Amino acid sequence: MTPDEPHDAVVVGSGAGGAMAAWVLTKAGASVLMLEAGRDYHPDEAAMLNMAMDAPLRGVGTPDKEFGFYDATVDGGWQMPGEPYTMSEGSEFMWWRSRMLGGRTNHWARNSFRMGEYDFKPQTRDGLGVDWPIEYKDLAPFYDRVEKMIGVYGTNTGLENHPSSGPGVLQPPPKFRVWETFLKAGGDAINIPVVPARRAILTKKIDERSPCYWASGCGRGCGIGAAFQTTTSLIPWAKATGKLTLATGAMVYEVVLDASGKATGVRYIDKATGAHKEAKGRVVIIAASTGETARILLNSKPNGRAEGVSNSSGQVGRNLMDTVGSSVNAYFPNLEGRPRYNEDGAMGLHAYIPFWDYKGVKDGTAGTPRGYHVEIGGSFGDPGMGVGSGLDGYGASLRSDVKRRYGSRINFTQRGEMIPNAKSFCEIDTNTKDKFGIPVLKFSFAWSEHELNQVTHFQKNMKALIDKLGGTLAAEPAEPTKAISKGGEIIHEVGTARMGKDAKDSVVNQYGKSWDVDNLYLTDGSVFVSKAHKNPTLSIMALAMRSSESIAARLRKGEL
Amino acid sequence: MSDAKSPIVMIDRRVTLKWLAGAMAVGQLAACGDQAKGLTWPEVAAIKAQGIGVDPDLINPVVPWPLTMTQVELAAAAKLADLILPAEGDAPAPSKVGVPAFINEWVSAPYPDQHEDRKLIIPGLAWLDSESKTRNGVVFANADVGAQKLILDDIAFKDKVKPGLELPAQFFNRMRVLTLGAYFTTREGWADIGYIGNQPGTGDYAGPTPEAAAHIKGVIEAMGLTYTPA
Repeated sequence: MTPDEPHDAVVVGSGAGGAMAAWVLTKAGASVLMLEAGRDYHPDEAAMLNMAMDAPLRGVGTPDKEFGFYDATVDGGWQMPGEPYTMSEGSEFMWWRSRMLGGRTNHWARNSFRMGEYDFKPQTRDGLGVDWPIEYKDLAPFYDRVEKMIGVYGTNTGLENHPSSGPGVLQPPPKFRVWETFLKAGGDAINIPVVPARRAILTKKIDERSPCYWASGCGRGCGIGAAFQTTTSLIPWAKATGKLTLATGAMVYEVVLDASGKATGVRYIDKATGAHKEAKGRVVIIAASTGETARILLNSKPNGRAEGVSNSSGQVGRNLMDTVGSSVNAYFPNLEGRPRYNEDGAMGLHAYIPFWDYKGVKDGTAGTPRGYHVEIGGSFGDPGMGVGSGLDGYGASLRSDVKRRYGSRINFTQRGEMIPNAKSFCEIDTNTKDKFGIPVLKFSFAWSEHELNQVTHFQKNMKALIDKLGGTLAAEPAEPTKAISKGGEIIHEVGTARMGKDAKDSVVNQYGKSWDVDNLYLTDGSVFVSKAHKNPTLSIMALAMRSSESIAARLRKGEL
Repeated sequence: MSDAKSPIVMIDRRVTLKWLAGAMAVGQLAACGDQAKGLTWPEVAAIKAQGIGVDPDLINPVVPWPLTMTQVELAAAAKLADLILPAEGDAPAPSKVGVPAFINEWVSAPYPDQHEDRKLIIPGLAWLDSESKTRNGVVFANADVGAQKLILDDIAFKDKVKPGLELPAQFFNRMRVLTLGAYFTTREGWADIGYIGNQPGTGDYAGPTPEAAAHIKGVIEAMGLTYTPA
């Protein structure tokens, strides 16, 4: 079919949420038109085994390629020429966009942690934020199916609020490297767990996707299909059904409703020609990323409704959340001079520190209501341009300092839960348009004391762990207000069209269906009610699968 | 790349990366002379040239900007890099593995971070020559090693910077960082530091060698902690 013909479903976006919807629906026999604002992409373009020495400026980040030369992101980044976003006075927000087929799944870290029972009922537990309209057990079967489908390595740790996967679901995790074993010894001594991480990387072959070959940074995109991204899985699978029509360079800017209030499709700009076009479908699914999804809804003004589409609750754009981030770095003299071997491994977490202090949260000694996990980095990697930072002098002693220090530094990175607050939201900036003439987003953002106190807990406990292992801080961590990441910086933004039980204070129901428009669905991070410390992509896919199966059932029954 | 025989501009180990043909340009900054000494250095104009772009060919990368350092600057940079990290055993000197050429690529790049380094490095190299002429009567590259080190001793140690030479010390620090980064990302640098990755394999990840595992077991148990095998 062509993009001009009406399809059963129009899907906006090709990342985790959009591609899952396209796969589930095409597999169910529905015709799907997928609209992607960026260009076509496949990680065959990735220079998987080229190294820093082969890249301009040894591959460091530049304003053109902000995460480094080899990062998979093309036509994207924190800033995009001609496609600005603005901020309210006193707010700082960073918005990473990946305008390309597959979106941000092409470069994500593949860290895949399930939300747990507590994470769905935050308000019930501590009175803050809002509960989800579903419980963990509602999503558990979808987590199992998604993990099995995409391939996730890890183990069932049995730890509190860290649910186990079903039997046979997980793939075996790679062995700990020396520095991870070292951290585990310290953690064991002071009751901080260091356990196998969970990542969407194959360690065993599935269909045409090869297992990890233990090299090549995952952020480059994975041409062998080991590291999950939609461009090597869901999208080609959907194409293979013969039911997917893909239009790239299609910048969607509004949802179209008929006089009865039903969605008939979306309007987009064909970037190649500049033409404004309309895509038609029986159901419209938006998964453009939480910011862009809110922007499309708010910029849609059918029948003169100033508040936008699906916004009778006034919640579209509100409840914007990101992950709490901060970091601590330390040198460990006990790791100096250790025997060399190949520590590339899965080029990311083999081990991590899940949140453990639920007792402290309950009795108040933690000083913060919500948890975080710690992602750890070390290893004998390609030394990179930072290998000489902080060193002194010159000559033979400098060479020996570099070699002694190599592999003895560990980074501890906090990834924590944010509680939604009234100061954090996005709205349309009526004074600014992008190069397509589409009004842009304006962000407002503020952390609360809860997140700052969580940084304090992290810093204190990591210092205890570092101490236990005889390490020295690379630098004393800054106070929480300075140590904490900027809003959006961790690229886990969610929540701008949350799901709920009640149309009065939520935008969609538990299946991502708009309360206001019966055939309009959202399947990206915008529907999140809370932002647990677990990285969102896995949960986006589990929710998108659940929503899409509900859509497929309604299509079959003729309800849509 | 006109002078392919010069070890200073040669970049024989980087098989993939290409510079624009004829990209070597004349340096844009005249030597600063004696006025470069002291607390202020002349303004260095930002580079205006084509960058990498937001969608470059990743497999066949190109450095699209002209290289701007003069032969005199490259000679000073090469000598300085080789003093920062002298050859040792099988490990070659930085000038033998393309480090001066990399410094040229870096300070010639049309980006803000690299411009910050350019503002220190171009005047800094001129300062080195000027300081050497004052002290020794010859440019830095032509002074004897002892005389070169006497200059470095005034700027290379963060707690012992000679008063008034704070800017040259900043310059030296950046040259050190860039030299070490460029050097240890070459195959020769990998061999010296012991990086043995980027080797695709089949089967499970091998994990630590028996020697590496035995070593960390010893370290952990010596600390009175419990070792858990990987």
